[in-house]
Amino acid sequence: MLRERLRTVGVRAACSLASSGILPARLFFTVVLLFLKLLTHTALRLPQHRLRLRSQQSPQSGLGESRFLGHLLRTVEQACRMTEQLYTVASDSETTGEDKSQMSFPDVAIGIDIGTSNCSVAVWTGHQVELLKNTRNQKGMRSYVMFKDDTLSAGVTGGATQEHGHEERDILSGSAIFNMKRLIGRMDTDEVVQASKNLPFLVQTLGIGVRPFIAALVNNMWRSTTPEEVLAIFLLELKALVEMHLKHPVRNAVLTIPVAFSRFQQTRIERACAMAGLHVLRLMPEPTSIALLYAQQQQQLLHDNMGSGIEKIALIFNMGAGYCDAAVTATAGGVSQIRALSGSTVGGEDILQNVMHHLLPDFDSLYAGQTMDRIKSIGLLRMATQDVIHKLATQEHVEINVDLGGGHKVSKILGRGEFEKVNQAIFEKCEGIIKQCLADAKLTPEDINDVILVGGCSKIPKIRSVVLGLCKKDDSYGGIDPLEAAVSGAALEGAIASGVTDPSGSLDLLTIQATPMNLGIRADGGNFAAIIPRNTAVPARRDMMFTTTHDNQTEALIAVYEGEGKQAEENHLLGYFKITDITAAAKGTVEINVCMDIDATNVLRVFAGVVKPQGQAIPPFIEVRMPTLDDGHGWCGQALAKMFGSTLDLAAVPKKLHP
Amino acid sequence: MICAAPVGVVFAPNPAPSSSSSSAAAIGYRRRRIRCAAAGGNTLYDVLGLRAGATVREIKAAYRRLARERHPDVAGGADEFVRLHDAYATLSDPDTRARYDRDVFVAVAAMSRGGGGGGAYHRPTPAAPPWYGAAARRPRRTWETDQCW
Repeated sequence: MLRERLRTVGVRAACSLASSGILPARLFFTVVLLFLKLLTHTALRLPQHRLRLRSQQSPQSGLGESRFLGHLLRTVEQACRMTEQLYTVASDSETTGEDKSQMSFPDVAIGIDIGTSNCSVAVWTGHQVELLKNTRNQKGMRSYVMFKDDTLSAGVTGGATQEHGHEERDILSGSAIFNMKRLIGRMDTDEVVQASKNLPFLVQTLGIGVRPFIAALVNNMWRSTTPEEVLAIFLLELKALVEMHLKHPVRNAVLTIPVAFSRFQQTRIERACAMAGLHVLRLMPEPTSIALLYAQQQQQLLHDNMGSGIEKIALIFNMGAGYCDAAVTATAGGVSQIRALSGSTVGGEDILQNVMHHLLPDFDSLYAGQTMDRIKSIGLLRMATQDVIHKLATQEHVEINVDLGGGHKVSKILGRGEFEKVNQAIFEKCEGIIKQCLADAKLTPEDINDVILVGGCSKIPKIRSVVLGLCKKDDSYGGIDPLEAAVSGAALEGAIASGVTDPSGSLDLLTIQATPMNLGIRADGGNFAAIIPRNTAVPARRDMMFTTTHDNQTEALIAVYEGEGKQAEENHLLGYFKITDITAAAKGTVEINVCMDIDATNVLRVFAGVVKPQGQAIPPFIEVRMPTLDDGHGWCGQALAKMFGSTLDLAAVPKKLHP
Repeated sequence: MICAAPVGVVFAPNPAPSSSSSSAAAIGYRRRRIRCAAAGGNTLYDVLGLRAGATVREIKAAYRRLARERHPDVAGGADEFVRLHDAYATLSDPDTRARYDRDVFVAVAAMSRGGGGGGAYHRPTPAAPPWYGAAARRPRRTWETDQCW
């Protein structure tokens, strides 16, 4: 625990140094590395050659700097080796032999599904995927971190309380932060953040496009934190759990993420993982990992030869507490090809909020502020509502009787019809997602072989009937556990990506991923020109021609966006850069090529440069790894518009009947 | 690098007049495919290892088989797979396949007349922008530097 805290402190200190500009970014890596290496057991086992490679390999940096860095890294290495020796000596002599065998253990990536409400972790044991249980024998652990006087404890070990029954009450006491997945990487203007304001902990928004202020109640004080930090603490505990089970350190992980996650949010998840000492091998959209599991089952079922062209098409619908995703996958011979992805930020949390507002119509005015009484009342109402929603999955009517204190009582009988009416908008959104997914995949309901329903909300009868109705099916695919599918798929991917092979061929699988959102740049006066359209197979590379909009324009701004909106501003700004030294010419004559590349690890790079009429590109070009932005997306776009207006605009050259 | 090399051979570096840039771009897709097909003798069918009359099922099967060999998860580099997937994407859709088949035919006919297709305008193909070489050789990400910060 001490080590963990120290490390968090170390990373935080380094972060603040870097952000205040005292430490250059490059040195900052090293400092963080130093902390990680010195303070964690796992880091001691980081492959040493990687470090040596880095110290020799930095031709990009100045010679003096690289030499200095090399020296620094060698010092760290030596220190670590010494520490490692000390560690071995200090450990029990009987276990030394065992220790050696662990050293040679292949580093198989674990699979993690961080849910908005529940979290699970799975590993490939050598012949199958196994979900790990915590000390309380749970596979699905509540996702939260409890802040107490000077200790932090996450839901992995059930840190809130030793008594199982009181866990939920303690989570809602204001001292625990949960729903990290809905808050991470979002600005305070985001409606999801706005909707989080009636959670029992403090979510303060200023509505100006900065990150919200989040705090937990500790000894009658709001102690500030960030979603990344909370997630990192949670992941640390999770990692410790896995290491306890596997009896060897864990470094690599495959995590599942919602389809609706922006690339900016993905970097936040990666950062949280790095803070917890985990290397993200891959971030998989949740339905994709379910598709992989499905592909494995189909392969085993049919003993299919990989050459055959018989493919099975499945629609996957995944709805958890925070997000809702759909995907269409075509599977044959262990190759699963994602044909279409779509997702949204509606989830069980929205259903819960709707029902809470329905049960207590003047909820907002009653519980606007966060005094101790109100937190308690909201907590009571939340627990009662959760209970009602769960019961409505099997019962037609549920009676609620809850005393919220302060003279407020809720006594009502809620019927299923009423519940469905209250959440009408949510069910319509789900319909929209599925329809879009089918349209994007160019399929009709008749083409679908299987409908896979997963996630906590898949138990709601209305959701089932909506999805099955749209796909014209009587029943859903039965071979997949709705709560364990995503994490199992992630663990499978972890094993495959770590290069594990299985003699029985059960890992002989391949997923061809697709991009969930359009990627493009701002052009034609505020419009969004998509260069890589959504549902393009990854790795992908597409380019597009642009031209200047003013006579003698020598500079152009490339603002990279991600999203579905027709206007650039409706989308997420990922970053921007300028092309300079354009030859002065009449407008519309200079050609600028912008190429976007997503590699197999889902890293996005944008290349841009001026192209001569004959076709030779004029060096040097610019290569930018996206996203480059760290915060305040809305601000940046507005600031750019205010500063430059349309002087640096580009126009898309109309073209191309692309395949 | 589907057709970067043969391009210079086939087409005289005839600079495009500014007024023609948009019309050239409008048919850019077709031009590019013609060039690829005619210059390299490397049709999309060749990429998939099939004959021109292959059925949709054969195309899908060939794509899956080759994806297992060429996907970056297996092989490392992305170029091969991007090319494979482009070939598959074009040929698996009846419309784009019909258009492609027609264009290949036109190109081959033009080549046999010695005309060379007559494209004056060139731009880098998405499969191989001129500056991409450096990135393609880049090793996979290393977490200390690439991951965040």
